[in-house]
Amino acid sequence: MTMRLNRRSFLATSAAAGALAFVGPKGLRAETGGMLRFGLSAYPPSFDAWASSGSAAGTVKLMMHRGLLGFAPDGTMRGELAESFEVDDAGTWTFKLRDARWHDGSPVTSEDIAWNVAEAAKADSTAFFRGELQSVVKVDTPDARTIRMTTEEPSAVLPGWFAHFNMPMIKKGEAPDTTMGAGPFKLDKTDRGVSLSLSAFDGYYKEGLPKLAGIEVIVYADENLRVAALDAGDVDLIEYVPWQAMEQIEADARLKLDAVDGPFMYLTFNAERPPFDDPRVRRAVAHAIKREDIVAAAFYGRGSALEHLPLAEGSDYYNADLANGWAYDPDKAMALLAEAGHPNGFDCTLLATAQYGMHQSTAEVCQAYLSMVGINARLDLPEWATRVQKGNQGQYDLAVMGTTASNNDPDGMTQLIDGSLPASFVRSYGLKTPEITELLAKGRQTFKAAERKTIYHQMEAKALETTPIAGLAWRSQGFAMKAGVSGFTNMPGQLCFYSPETLEETVLG
Amino acid sequence: MRKLILPVSIIAVILALVLLAPILPLADVRAMDIPHRFAGPSLQHWLGQDEFGRDVLTRLIFGARASLSIAIGSALAAALIGATLGLLGGYFRGLVELVTVRAAEVVLCLPPLLLALLVVTILGAGFWPLILALTLLYTPNYARVVYAATLQVRGLDYVTAQRALGTHPLTIVLRTLLPNVLPPLVVQISLVIASAIVIESGLSFLGLGVVPPTPSWGLMIRSARGAMEQAPMLLVWPSLALAGTILTFNLLCDRLQSVLDPRTVPVGGAIWLRRRGATSPRPSSREARVPRAAGPAGAGAVTDRAATDRSGETKPADLLAIEGLTVALDRPGGVGSGMELVRGVSLALRPGETLALVGESGSGKTLTSLAVTGLLPDVLAVTAGTAAYVRRDGTALDLLAEDEDGHRRLRGDEISMVFQDASAALNPVHRIGDQLAEGILAHRAIGRAEAANEAVALLKRVGIPDPERRARAYPHELSGGQRQRAMIAIAVANRPKLLLADEPTTALDPTIQAQILALIADLKRDNPDMGVVFVTHNLAVVAEIADRVAVMYAGELVEEGPVAEVFARPRHPYTAALIGSVPEGGAERLVAIPGTVPAPGQMPPGCRFAPRCDHAEAICRESEPAEFVPAPGRRTRCLRYEEVT
Amino acid sequence: MLRYIAYRSLLAVFLVWIVVTLVFLMLHLVPGDPAELLLSQGSTAADPQAVANLRERLGLDDPLWLQYAHHIGGLLTGDLGTSFRDGASVTGQIVQRLPRTLEVIVAAALIAAALGVPAGTLAAVRSGGWIDTLISFLSSVALSTPVFVVGSVVILVFAQELRLVPAGGYVPFAVDPARHLLLLMLPAGTVALALWAVIARMTRASVLDVLERDYVRTARAKGLSRVKILRRHVVRNAMIPVLTVLGLEMGTLIGGTVLVEFVFNWPGLSGYLVSAVDARDYPEVVGIVMVISILFVFLNLVVDIVSAVLDPRISLTR
Repeated sequence: MTMRLNRRSFLATSAAAGALAFVGPKGLRAETGGMLRFGLSAYPPSFDAWASSGSAAGTVKLMMHRGLLGFAPDGTMRGELAESFEVDDAGTWTFKLRDARWHDGSPVTSEDIAWNVAEAAKADSTAFFRGELQSVVKVDTPDARTIRMTTEEPSAVLPGWFAHFNMPMIKKGEAPDTTMGAGPFKLDKTDRGVSLSLSAFDGYYKEGLPKLAGIEVIVYADENLRVAALDAGDVDLIEYVPWQAMEQIEADARLKLDAVDGPFMYLTFNAERPPFDDPRVRRAVAHAIKREDIVAAAFYGRGSALEHLPLAEGSDYYNADLANGWAYDPDKAMALLAEAGHPNGFDCTLLATAQYGMHQSTAEVCQAYLSMVGINARLDLPEWATRVQKGNQGQYDLAVMGTTASNNDPDGMTQLIDGSLPASFVRSYGLKTPEITELLAKGRQTFKAAERKTIYHQMEAKALETTPIAGLAWRSQGFAMKAGVSGFTNMPGQLCFYSPETLEETVLG
Repeated sequence: MRKLILPVSIIAVILALVLLAPILPLADVRAMDIPHRFAGPSLQHWLGQDEFGRDVLTRLIFGARASLSIAIGSALAAALIGATLGLLGGYFRGLVELVTVRAAEVVLCLPPLLLALLVVTILGAGFWPLILALTLLYTPNYARVVYAATLQVRGLDYVTAQRALGTHPLTIVLRTLLPNVLPPLVVQISLVIASAIVIESGLSFLGLGVVPPTPSWGLMIRSARGAMEQAPMLLVWPSLALAGTILTFNLLCDRLQSVLDPRTVPVGGAIWLRRRGATSPRPSSREARVPRAAGPAGAGAVTDRAATDRSGETKPADLLAIEGLTVALDRPGGVGSGMELVRGVSLALRPGETLALVGESGSGKTLTSLAVTGLLPDVLAVTAGTAAYVRRDGTALDLLAEDEDGHRRLRGDEISMVFQDASAALNPVHRIGDQLAEGILAHRAIGRAEAANEAVALLKRVGIPDPERRARAYPHELSGGQRQRAMIAIAVANRPKLLLADEPTTALDPTIQAQILALIADLKRDNPDMGVVFVTHNLAVVAEIADRVAVMYAGELVEEGPVAEVFARPRHPYTAALIGSVPEGGAERLVAIPGTVPAPGQMPPGCRFAPRCDHAEAICRESEPAEFVPAPGRRTRCLRYEEVT
Repeated sequence: MLRYIAYRSLLAVFLVWIVVTLVFLMLHLVPGDPAELLLSQGSTAADPQAVANLRERLGLDDPLWLQYAHHIGGLLTGDLGTSFRDGASVTGQIVQRLPRTLEVIVAAALIAAALGVPAGTLAAVRSGGWIDTLISFLSSVALSTPVFVVGSVVILVFAQELRLVPAGGYVPFAVDPARHLLLLMLPAGTVALALWAVIARMTRASVLDVLERDYVRTARAKGLSRVKILRRHVVRNAMIPVLTVLGLEMGTLIGGTVLVEFVFNWPGLSGYLVSAVDARDYPEVVGIVMVISILFVFLNLVVDIVSAVLDPRISLTR
């Protein structure tokens, strides 16, 4: 393990701790083994390695594949296929590969990696990071184990791309939806829509891992049934534990719950047309809703109020002074409305979806609170596909959304609040945020932690004022498992969907 | 109509609750009280609070609005459209059928949920799209049911007749077909309302239903399912409301059906199917009944035959001796229960004798023959009388005291019946030969093959050409005359001692009639000891076939005697009128007696024929006439028999 | 008979074509873009260029008539196309899933008929009695309880509390026959619950009707035993409309077992259809709907033929 520290390699520093974590004694696999039965919430819509195809696909990708980087159970970034990574003064990132192998036994080379970057960035690519990777202007492979990437502008957030489960590495020349990766498990068999069978890859680059002999993934679309299956002993581990079942699982000695506040709910606005083109009206909405009731009604108390931008309290970029910037204050809300010329409120539509109960419940609570300040919101609850399209095309006034950011870095917020990005249902429609756009860009190019902190503080303060989105609630994301399952960790904050990465260390008791 | 009171009043209460909901002192249907979510029942919230702390009772009542109006609205809309399509398609067939019924079937090909999904997705979730989706969904069901029923009815004679008369097709459809297809339509509506309420909940479960915060039962069930562990009662209330409402609608429709369709049996069902013990509570011991036998005949009306002291044993000479038979409506608690339709009928039949039972419709002649065989409809019961019968083995028994099992041993074996409408009396789905053979097998221990051979022989005997082939035919493949011959073959299959023929020739044209009568006469020659009771209203037939004739009027036997004597000199004004009304050349129907037969329950005091009688005097209207014996072997129930002819 | 079948088949082809066209057009009318959906899974913002690339790859940018022509052309050659999502063969998927759905429907129909016919007959024979009231009550309750409630309760009681059955799922028959049948009983039993009620009610009405027929009186006049009359003359005749209804209900169930499949995690055709609609996977939706409508039409034909066999008065001619 070599780690050349550079004055700007702050990200790599934090990765070091994690990188050491997996160096453990050899030969653990022999004594543990066992097949883990994993109750997944959906069947992966596709196995396309680089496309964003949801958390279920992400889970399976994290079993089969590894990227250059990853996250340790404690949430720190660490090397995976790359044993080290660093950035020089010019902003060029250099990754040193470790001695890893593909599932077919061939070595993972820098050439493979370069091919991945080039393919995903191609004009006709459907990769999640296609846009970002296009900013990589040059990829060098000085030797089989070294890869060097140069971006248009220096980018402090580049490692985040390569740690993302939507940017795993596949063997050169394979189709994007290949199951041939370098991850801890190999996909043996699939029954589309029903189940997947994976077995341990004995050539995995971490000694002694994975500890399991294999994983049997069974899809349970119905959340209640997923819990029932765990309760009845049909599966060992389930994801997306419904909030109403968490208490019961915690109370059950045979089971255990690992839940973190990660994903969050928020409101988006259509700023193309009145009344939400007026920041005062948007702020009025942000002040009008009592978040605790959303947490109680939609999430059975499993979560917490979110009265600012979704920056978790544990984050380095958490701004305690701004944390209650959108605190519940109906008087203030009404004053803002009056100031904006709506002393008697107005009518509008509130878009959510009936397909997901949490969206609907959140919308119902919002509707009730908005009516108290005179905003009469009519609910529009189409199924998800329609809701996405309506969101993309701005066919709404107000909309309830829920998601996670890419990772715990504040740059993850870009997707939600950067008004210069193309229209998307995840952010407000037609809302230009020049100052925020500029600050976010500055943050990406800044490598010093202290400087970044200042930039993001400014950014959040600006966001609280202009309200490009209105945070509503953190929601708890839980995995539940049999008491005997150990080594599986729900990663903190926005990383909860990376948690299946720890399946490599999971042991069946 | 009284049966409708219960379901209608329950539905009225539900509808009243629904309509009055806004002015009832209920909690605000949308007001949230999140700190008290899942709170149990309290004084303010009788059924507790839901996951948003809203009042469950209020939401239940308001939820009924959405659920019921969607279900009923779409069920009725679909019924209207579907019935129209079905009627038109079924009546006109051809191209009209293609654009109505077959077009509706396109919808059936689409999975219901997909259809709802597409409609709701295109139009957006909500009240009207939901009604539209459900209406679309159910229209083809109605269309098909009504179409099938229309096809059945349109082939019937009276529809053909109307068409021949040039009645406007729409008039036929509306006046004749619609009332006939109404019963299946009503059943369908009951099923559809129930299923629409359930589908509404299913769609709400999938998020395609009513848009919150408007409550609906489906939405309530959906949200309660998630919280089943925390608050199971939240699931119970809307489910109960749903089940209760559907139960009420089913009840209403069942009752409506029985009111709309008088054919339907009232409470009780097929009593004959029930084992002993469940049968009629009539005393079965003869001793217990004999004293009552004289009762209905009225005080002072000492019957001639009764005077010959036969209480106890039967004269060996009589094959069947009916004494004081009374049949009454038997619907405990029902309208008109106890009303007597046949009263105090006494008849005797010697072996080998043919007795004609004559009278207008409603005179009780068919009921008399059915009572003897124990085949009375469930709503009727023998309330008095005996029917002494001598079995093949010489033992005597009282037919009226037998239970179903006792009758069953005799029926088809010693005592057979020939029914009026052979096309209805033969089972359409079994082959003629099988229907014959099963009657043989029921009473004789012979093999199937043997029974089948015998069936062919019987068909040949009754004059059916090519009997081997006809034995394999279904009833609808035979002509009317052949069907009646087959019916007779069934009746005589086991060489009965007693044959009861209930208007066996009425439905046939005169040539065939004569053939059938000849056949019966012929069969009697084969089996000379067979007694025949021939029920008819055709005096020409009586003259041709019977030895003795018994004339019935308004449930009573008014005259009886040898055919020749009675025809030559009737001793009852009614008999005389009957004979008088037969035109020269012997027409079919009895006509030209002034007035009508009084309805049961509206019998005049005194002689029942008095209101229509030319000879009636004051005394006739005051007391019931007793039976008189104007000549040996003759009886009449007329005070003034001597003046009749 | 053969001419009749040929005529009906021709009608069926026409019907299926209309259904397919209808669904194709409606799908394109429904909001939601398959490419956009596929790339914004997990509530992430899709890269517009990536969406455009995918649309092009899937042929979604072609004019509607061309897409339709492509699709119908494919269907005519028996090629149902491939999934928009992962390129899986639609035919292959249907071949895999259809038997599972049919299995549930057939098992449910058998259970429902086995329980519903005797119950309905009994209710008719004892009409007005307590047993009739009880059956009427039970059938109303069965009809009015949504399957997802029944399913949840069944899972809670039998899987979680009593641990008698697994909490839903599917195991191929070849792998573990006993477990397969056990798992089959969950959805089949639940479907049968509602179907039972329909059949019982229909049987009751039909038996009551037949009991009033003259031929039943004839059968009594022949001196047949109760059992024989009931079996040969009452139930036999009463079954004709019941079978028709059962056939139609089964037809509706193909593609209509969505909730049951969802609640018991049974990987049948209905669940497949819903996921295809959710993802706006046009080839999958059209392919599944086509197969369902063909089956439906076929089942109707079978019902007609069976009715004709049972009731000789019906002749299969046009």
